[in-house]
Amino acid sequence: MAQHDVEITISRNGDVKVHVKGAKGKACMEYAKWLTRVIGRVKDQQMTSEFYEPETRTRIDLHQDLRTEDDSA
Amino acid sequence: MSTVLILAPIVISSWPAIAVAATAAASALGFTVQKTAQEARRENKEEQETRTVEIELANSEVLAQGLATDQQVVLTKGGVQLTVERDARGQCKVCASGKGLSKAQLTQAAEQFTQKLTQCFIYDKVMRELKGKSFQVVNEEIMQDDSIRIHVRRWVD
Repeated sequence: MAQHDVEITISRNGDVKVHVKGAKGKACMEYAKWLTRVIGRVKDQQMTSEFYEPETRTRIDLHQDLRTEDDSA
Repeated sequence: MSTVLILAPIVISSWPAIAVAATAAASALGFTVQKTAQEARRENKEEQETRTVEIELANSEVLAQGLATDQQVVLTKGGVQLTVERDARGQCKVCASGKGLSKAQLTQAAEQFTQKLTQCFIYDKVMRELKGKSFQVVNEEIMQDDSIRIHVRRWVD
């Protein structure tokens, strides 16, 4: 399960800053497109380093090898 | 971090949704909603020498569907009366009037209100859409500069 966070700041004059966190590549673009459709038109957009990270899922298995002194001998 | 977007709001909706945002903005700015538009007009006619300023809500459109003619939201605060309505071109219009107030004062009142209306409208719309996409609100706060910050989260497979 991946955690996607969105921080939305609606300023006093109605301008909206949207910060999408945790979503990479295509998923990030989908959030951006959807929120643009909901709110209005894009004035500015900045991609951050995470956007360019591959979307592939990485599975990290943590193994701890327990060896007795006899095994290592 | 992934992406940061700055968006300019577009207010397009049917009259009921705009009326709800206008009422919320009125409440936030200390305006009282007048009972009926006719009542407000009657009172206005009695007051001579009343100055009036009109401001259109930028990037707005009130959809004609379900809009009965003569639909307005009339608000009062002190000597200022604001009327929110749909103009002939379909844009949302805010008309500020008041006795003994300068054009600059009325323009400021109307502009402050249109900004608040836009903020309330966008807030309602965004919250509705976020809930529809199963986002959970992590935090929501009003900042010192009157901006509203919403932090939402969603878990995906």
